[in-house]
Amino acid sequence: MTAVPLRKRVRVKTLLLVLLCGWLFAVHLGLLLQYGLDGQSASMGDALLARNAETASANAVTSVVVSYRGFDTLGEVTVLFLAATGIGLFFGRRDRRDSEVPETAGSPPNEMMVTGVRLLFPVLILLGVYVVVHGHLSPGGGFQGGVIIATAFFLRLLADPDFRLSHTRVGLLESLSGSGFVIMGLLGLSLAGTATFLGNFLPHPVADMGRLLSAGVIPIIYCLVGVKVGAEVAAIFGDMLERGGEHEAAQVKDKPEAE
Amino acid sequence: MTLPLTPVWFVALPLLLAFASPLWVRYRLLMPLLVGTPALLLLLAFVLLPEVRTGPLLETIVIAPPLGIHLQLDSASWILVALISLAGLLATAFIWLSDAEPYLRDRRAFVFLLLLIAGCNGMVLTGDLFNLYVFLEIAGVSAYALSALRRDASALEAGLKYLIIGSVAAVFFLFSVVLIYLQTGQLNMAAVAARFGGIPAPMQLLIGLLMLVGLGIKAELFPFNFWVPDVYQGSHPVLAGLFSGLLVKAFLFVLFHLVFLLLADPQVAGLWLMGLGATTMLIAEVVALRQEDMRRMLAYSSLGQIGLITLALGFGMQATTAGGLFHMVNHTLVKLLLFLTAAVLLRSFVSARLADLAGAGRARPLAAALFVLGALAVMGLPPLSGFASKLWILKGFAEAGVFWPVALILLAALIEAGYYFRWIKVLYDPNGDLKAAAPVERMAYVPMGVAAGLIILLGVAPFLVDDLFIEGAQTLLDRGAALSAVLGAGS
Amino acid sequence: MLAFLDDPKILHGIYVLGTLTLFFIGLYGLLAKRHLLKVLISIAVMELSVYLLFVGLATSPGETAPILSDGLTEFAGMADPVPQALTLTAIVIGLAVLALGVSLAVQYHRLTGKADIARMTELKEL
Repeated sequence: MTAVPLRKRVRVKTLLLVLLCGWLFAVHLGLLLQYGLDGQSASMGDALLARNAETASANAVTSVVVSYRGFDTLGEVTVLFLAATGIGLFFGRRDRRDSEVPETAGSPPNEMMVTGVRLLFPVLILLGVYVVVHGHLSPGGGFQGGVIIATAFFLRLLADPDFRLSHTRVGLLESLSGSGFVIMGLLGLSLAGTATFLGNFLPHPVADMGRLLSAGVIPIIYCLVGVKVGAEVAAIFGDMLERGGEHEAAQVKDKPEAE
Repeated sequence: MTLPLTPVWFVALPLLLAFASPLWVRYRLLMPLLVGTPALLLLLAFVLLPEVRTGPLLETIVIAPPLGIHLQLDSASWILVALISLAGLLATAFIWLSDAEPYLRDRRAFVFLLLLIAGCNGMVLTGDLFNLYVFLEIAGVSAYALSALRRDASALEAGLKYLIIGSVAAVFFLFSVVLIYLQTGQLNMAAVAARFGGIPAPMQLLIGLLMLVGLGIKAELFPFNFWVPDVYQGSHPVLAGLFSGLLVKAFLFVLFHLVFLLLADPQVAGLWLMGLGATTMLIAEVVALRQEDMRRMLAYSSLGQIGLITLALGFGMQATTAGGLFHMVNHTLVKLLLFLTAAVLLRSFVSARLADLAGAGRARPLAAALFVLGALAVMGLPPLSGFASKLWILKGFAEAGVFWPVALILLAALIEAGYYFRWIKVLYDPNGDLKAAAPVERMAYVPMGVAAGLIILLGVAPFLVDDLFIEGAQTLLDRGAALSAVLGAGS
Repeated sequence: MLAFLDDPKILHGIYVLGTLTLFFIGLYGLLAKRHLLKVLISIAVMELSVYLLFVGLATSPGETAPILSDGLTEFAGMADPVPQALTLTAIVIGLAVLALGVSLAVQYHRLTGKADIARMTELKEL
């Protein structure tokens, strides 16, 4: 490949762009400083906060995320699912290549690192599970904890040559937790007590607020979200890593991939 | 324990089936479910129709509207939901019956197709601005992945271009939603609409412009649509048909829904949009004249029709709005039919370029005949459905005494006739000697036949459906009724 | 010494300034840069600035996190929970789209050896 410089010397264009962006910046700044600074009075968020005790969840952000605006969260999980599926598609075709290409491209990691990572792994998983399970009591929740769990797997994938992520199992977890979320929503719709999609159909007495077993379906849904986010982010990491390694190996052997 | 039939099924059912997709692979149910889901949704839409005609169907999710999210199925959004399900049904049936390329038939394509339908349904149904952003991203991400599905260089390029431009649109839209929340403290569309007049005028303009950029990119309006032909050419024609048939329609509907709901006086915004629509229409039709690739030509033609729909809806009178909604339905059917014939021709002759298709009409007579039918319907010749809807729009403009759009629409139809006849002439070129390279399943013509049948039926008997479209237009334009339906009669 | 930050107008003004600077740095990068990854990063910067604006302006000085802990017993005097929840949602969506974009860009680069947005010309007429 010839070395073509990516940036041509088009000074006039750059100057014009800077001027355009600067002008837009000034306009926006003027508008926002003039009209945007008064904190809003009586927003729907404040109304939700005032009513939040009814969910019996000590963390108001969690009750908004999982209950009041749970439909958004379902959509958000869907977008993540779509991205994970898409990334699996573009980095895919692993079953055939597993046998052909050696797993580790560079030099194997040293013993210290492998042992350290193996020690760290259960601690990270525990932290992740804690953050997920306490989502309705303290800062944290399914997304944050799920990502911590995924990081644990990412660490193992990077540092431990013997570690494999079973794609069938990850896929199964992904689909089970996703369907579980929708089914919890449909249960809320079909039970007479709530009769709305994603309604909180389990008993959630306010007196229990602050205990681990409180707030009805909120912790259950957040755990499902945690599993799903963990599985999906781990799958994204795994896909990127495996194909990345394979590609380097292929280049070392001077066999460019023919697609 | 009962399972009530409510609008949430239009989103929840495809979502549930897509999440559980590994199960369907195991039991070999992928293809039946891919076709069955939109069919079920279409059935559900018809079951709900009598109820919708008596009044809008509001479904609360967790907490009642001004505070929470709600879904709203009224006469206007019903048309879109039914259209999305119908278009999804035809396209997926074509994928199944035509024994399409393997990459269109595996689990991932299943997930993307179902979630595209779910995203479009959600966008049309939701009554909440942030929820709209979420569904916009669901539909968007499925569309990016679908256009790159073939994984060769041109498909990846189409996917990348779509992804970059689509994310930029989403950022602008999110910015406007954030500003609205900071100004009004509300996210529910009706509650925002009730307070929108209280926002200082320059801020209103900024929010409107940001939203116009965001939704204008997504709805493929003039200054923001340079990427469209690339995406349509790089994707499989069936998918291009879906983008043109349901994705853009959903975005157009959302754009106009917001304009008519948020603005107490949509006159000025409507005039702007009419200008954009007219420019989109004329530029696209002129550029379409010299396209050498069938998919690109169809992409420009689709842009032209979208400009026409924008022009009709932007006028904001009941007659043109009803015509615009009717034309939306017609254009979806017609473009789907044309893109499906393009898929058949591309598959038979490997290329979709003008020079390589000389005489294709004799090797594939049925496909060529359907192409001619579709082309005539786009131009708006009687007795096809394009004639009926264009007539409604033109009559609407004429009754209001505004004649410049009438002239532009007739001019655009003339240009359309020019380039479609160029293609028809080549398809029936007596000197061409083409042999089909690959066979096409006979069953593949079934969904195309259904689309053609509907085009003729709607053209011959538009009186079967005109109530629906007039009711739809009334609901779309009646801001006061929409507000009081959600917020209660007092507001 | 930093007591002037307790005035919501000043604090919010600083947020607005920072947000808009970030947003237009992102917009400039989007329009001026031609490397695919730089374009994707610019989009991410624009997204992040919008999140900052949302969380920053919806919270006023003196409000606590909307969580009952550390002896708090009622939901009063707390920050508005909705912008925080929505920002969480938006961040995850932004991350998902960015990851998909990067994987597309990497795959495109592998197939064609190109990473320049102006040279993406597979799909041109003639």
